[in-house]
Amino acid sequence: MLLNCLLRRRCARLSALLVALAAAPWAHATSPIAHQAAPASPLARASLAASAAEADSDAEDSSNLSASARRIYDFGRPRLLQVRTLLRDQDSQASVGSGSLVGADGLILTNYHVVSQVALEPQRYRLNFQTVDGVTGALQLIAFDVVHDLALVRMAKPPATVSTRGIFEFRPAATPLAQGERIFSLGNPLDVGFAVVEGTYNGLVERSFLPQILFSGSLNPGMSGGPVLDDRGHIVGVNVATRRDGQQISFLVPAEFAQALIARGANAKPITTSVEAEMSRQLLQHQQQLTTRFVALPWRETKHAHYSVPVPQEDFMRCWGSSNPSESKGLSFERSDCQMDTAIFINESLRTGDMAVRHEVYDGSKLGALRFAEEAGQSFRNEGMGRRTHDLTAPKCKEDFVESGGLPMRTVMCLRAYRRLPGLYDVAVLSQSVDAKTEGVQGRFDARGVSFENAMLLATHYLKGFAWKRSP
Amino acid sequence: METLALIETLDRDGQPRQILRVSQWPVRIGRAIDCDLVLDDPHVAALHATLDMREDGLHVVPATTVNGVRLGRASVAPGSTPLLPASGQMTLGATTLRVRLASEVLAPELRLLDRHAVERRNAATLVALIVIASLWKGFDLWLSAVPGAPGSTIAWGYLSAPIGLIVWCAVWAIGSMLFQRRFAFWAHLQVALTWLLVAVLVEEVTKQLAFALSMPLVEKAGRLAFAGALAMMMWRHMGLLLPARRRAFAIAIGSAVVVGGALLLVDRSVSQEPLVGDLYLGTISLPGVRIAKPVSIDAFVKSAAPLQQTLSKWAKPGDDDDDSPGGDDD
Repeated sequence: MLLNCLLRRRCARLSALLVALAAAPWAHATSPIAHQAAPASPLARASLAASAAEADSDAEDSSNLSASARRIYDFGRPRLLQVRTLLRDQDSQASVGSGSLVGADGLILTNYHVVSQVALEPQRYRLNFQTVDGVTGALQLIAFDVVHDLALVRMAKPPATVSTRGIFEFRPAATPLAQGERIFSLGNPLDVGFAVVEGTYNGLVERSFLPQILFSGSLNPGMSGGPVLDDRGHIVGVNVATRRDGQQISFLVPAEFAQALIARGANAKPITTSVEAEMSRQLLQHQQQLTTRFVALPWRETKHAHYSVPVPQEDFMRCWGSSNPSESKGLSFERSDCQMDTAIFINESLRTGDMAVRHEVYDGSKLGALRFAEEAGQSFRNEGMGRRTHDLTAPKCKEDFVESGGLPMRTVMCLRAYRRLPGLYDVAVLSQSVDAKTEGVQGRFDARGVSFENAMLLATHYLKGFAWKRSP
Repeated sequence: METLALIETLDRDGQPRQILRVSQWPVRIGRAIDCDLVLDDPHVAALHATLDMREDGLHVVPATTVNGVRLGRASVAPGSTPLLPASGQMTLGATTLRVRLASEVLAPELRLLDRHAVERRNAATLVALIVIASLWKGFDLWLSAVPGAPGSTIAWGYLSAPIGLIVWCAVWAIGSMLFQRRFAFWAHLQVALTWLLVAVLVEEVTKQLAFALSMPLVEKAGRLAFAGALAMMMWRHMGLLLPARRRAFAIAIGSAVVVGGALLLVDRSVSQEPLVGDLYLGTISLPGVRIAKPVSIDAFVKSAAPLQQTLSKWAKPGDDDDDSPGGDDD
């Protein structure tokens, strides 16, 4: 899934994410929001306003709907803020998001990715807020939940009037929303001004490891961290992401995670030391849950006559298949690509906490043994294992012939360590069958942000999914 | 009159440009027209030196000049009158002279056909090399060409290698023309073909062997051998240009390989890449080639345990925290 976090500057640079997932068939038709969003020229603003007016007049029941949106906005207005990341030594903003007042002492709820620069590089960045009526001041980072992309910040010197603004309350868990209920997202899209966006609640996103609410409404960069309210003004979720290739497909962090973060972090002292140890702790906890659930699932049956191939259940992964035209005179192959929808944002160049399983089944009967071996070798050696980056070490690999279920394979396992998050690794297992002259299977498993022990556990689990099937 | 000696004035290539028959000693050499041998060299004095036959042989008697007389590389000290060395060569100003005495024993006659015979023998080798190389290239193209690919693609693939080789050898042959006065195209082609074939053969054999034995190190050794064969090729090319300098070329190429290799190693070790070759062995061969027995999954995963230590060493902050943030792996 091409998640485009709703932070304007980030979104303008999310092409990396787009590249990573371009293998999915629908990815080619994407139109990144960042493009539409780039400069808010007067013309663009005018056309936006015009289309908004059009939509308004088109709506059947426009008087009612706009009345409740107006009511919600009036209610939310004093409690809504823009959260700005500024360069440490000047007033230029590096990124902007939104936030909501959730504590009378100036406690503000927002996304982790809105404050990630300050969290990771406090020596370069600082945080500031601006209310709808123009009050500004400094913010301090109090607590964060990197896995669910949430953060708590607090006004460093709360203005005397802050308690008169009131705070947002959460919708009680006992009264869940029904699909189709109207909800309202607040925030400051593209830094053009505070806005209220109407949309509908559509339940939780299916097959997502991390629960997210599917919100059918237009979220835009800059609204990240803003609250989403029910018609009584209670928080039901937090703006977090949108799909680049869809329309009005947006995602919210469910309110329960925000409540949990507030419960454990509201009275915390501002974070002044490195956040990396705490971040590692949260990510290790996440990978443990993910690994446990993943290895507990059996592999799916594959239809191939000779090979059993590890293909994951689609409980929290999505698989896409493809094959080359059957009239091809060369190598025929069938391919399956499975990956998780949710990756955890750490910084602009690092997403983690997810897995991908891929395989290709080759039929080289039209090629002959020698040419098939050559083709298979080409496909085997052009797999990218990554290089050393700011965040990760270079990969280090172990390779050998490995047998699984009677099937001999050439197997490579490469690991990379996180340079700033101790105890976390990326693991990739690449395996190519070497039993037959003109047919074969090549599989690859990737897990990002797992412990070394779990990397070994997952590699074992994956390799055991391969087997040679006796022809029926 | 009896000819006692010949004095040849040599050009830069060592060929005689001017020959004086000597019928009596001493011979006066200089720029003045009353000399016996008149040199057209502005670095030579009016009377530069005299050659005088004494009982023990021919002596050089230098006159008082600015540039003096050199025998080989050594200057003749003022006042001394050394014996002319066996080579018979001396340098006056910028002019090299060679003296051949009538009393010298002549070297036996060289067989004129020698070179042609060698070339004929070489021609057979060359044809064999060309045939092997063509077959190899053809096989290589067949191996990687997609069936049904347009003929022009295959033809271009088949032609580009020989064209490249011809250009390469022609450039070397022009070099030979410069130093050896002959366009030694075929000799260079033989060198290039021989060592290129050695290189690809070693590469292919080590790859297959590495796969068969599951020993990636063999493939890495093959890469080094490949580079070595290419260095040998360069050395042989250069040797054809200036055979007398082969030792110097060996030292030059050897040190280039050592220095270049060391820089590459440092570079790769800084970026935490394998010192030689790829991250992993990329060869997949026929099932029958494999000799090594597959290990069990548990044994394989267990054998990966030491990776953790290397990685934690690599992950240690310090040396290079300021490198540009990269997301190239995304």
